[in-house]
Amino acid sequence: MRESAATVDLSVRVYTWLLAAYPGSFRAEYGNHMAQVFRDVCMRDFRRGGARGLSSLWARTSLDLLRTTVEEHIERGIDMSREKFVRWSGWALMAGAVLFAAGLILGSFDPSDMDPVGGVDAFYEISQVVGLALGHVLFVIGLLGLRSGYAIRSGSLGAGLLLLAVIGSVVSLGGLLSMSSTEAAWTAWMGGFLTMTLTLAVFGIVAMRRRVFSRWNFAPVLAGVGLPLLFGIGIAGVDSVSGQAPEWASFVAVALTAVGLILVGYRMQADAGTTPEVAA
Amino acid sequence: MAEASITPESFLPLTPAVFHILLALADAEKHGYAIMQEIEDATDGTVQMGPGTLYGSIKRMLAAGLIEESDDRPDPTLDDERRRYYRQTGLGRRVLRQEAERMAELMALARRKHVWAVIGSRSILT
Repeated sequence: MRESAATVDLSVRVYTWLLAAYPGSFRAEYGNHMAQVFRDVCMRDFRRGGARGLSSLWARTSLDLLRTTVEEHIERGIDMSREKFVRWSGWALMAGAVLFAAGLILGSFDPSDMDPVGGVDAFYEISQVVGLALGHVLFVIGLLGLRSGYAIRSGSLGAGLLLLAVIGSVVSLGGLLSMSSTEAAWTAWMGGFLTMTLTLAVFGIVAMRRRVFSRWNFAPVLAGVGLPLLFGIGIAGVDSVSGQAPEWASFVAVALTAVGLILVGYRMQADAGTTPEVAA
Repeated sequence: MAEASITPESFLPLTPAVFHILLALADAEKHGYAIMQEIEDATDGTVQMGPGTLYGSIKRMLAAGLIEESDDRPDPTLDDERRRYYRQTGLGRRVLRQEAERMAELMALARRKHVWAVIGSRSILT
């Protein structure tokens, strides 16, 4: 008798804890009643079938919990207003810039970057992969938010450039994710990233003319010139011995891109709700 | 919600959960556990509603005006805990009747097509 009460109590406690998965308003209104009903059914099923009865109840209840929490959340809806999306996208752009830069910088410490992932340099290799992949995903989200929030203020040219930047980021991400398979993937990654940064740089010029942001309209130019500059330095001033652009150039390019994107992201989340378009 | 402006037909067809809950409340007001118990007994255990499905449906039925809250009181057959009772509204009664009529028409159609037959007290699919 005491054992059955303790078993039922434990089940109810676990079920009550799992009710946290439901939306707050639903839980506030019905949580206690649901726990009460579950207790009643628990006691009945334990009385009828012991531990087996309780197991069967938990199997049914788990499925019920899983299905109905999803239903309730979908019904509540994700009220993602444009303002919220732009604000979150701003944070995504900032986070993406940090991860991207960290991934590239840590990856540069990998003494042998052509070996398989693993071994003593695993930390640098994994950091590079994770940083670049996550960074690119966040770039896509951030640029979508940038276009969503500022397309109208930027005019048709600015809106078109932002769209191109989004497309470039998506292509770059696709190339990065399939990089191990073909050389075309490398081309897609670099080409997409170049498109993204070049169009951002040109958008920056539009932003400065039209005063798209409340402040720091030069930020997209900063974000966009890094990589093209690197290419330019690589073509014009290649180290004749190694055949590669000097390392400091890579660092400057990464830093410029990251700082520029962080500034753009900061402006997006700061301006959200204060500018007419974003607040609409 | 003005019941007169909403037609029962607009709620059809009912989901199984809503139908069973309305049916359980057809004869008397009940609390959540009693609704679950009645549904399980009436269907010989084939329909076992979890608390999430029960109260998700109750929430939507309350919003639609098919049922209403009665009061909170203990069930003397269970324990001293206060339980929230529910009852059908007039709209809920009309909707349940319409749904039952709709299902009866479908059954009659199945019988005419010789898909369904009743032999004695047992129904079989032919």
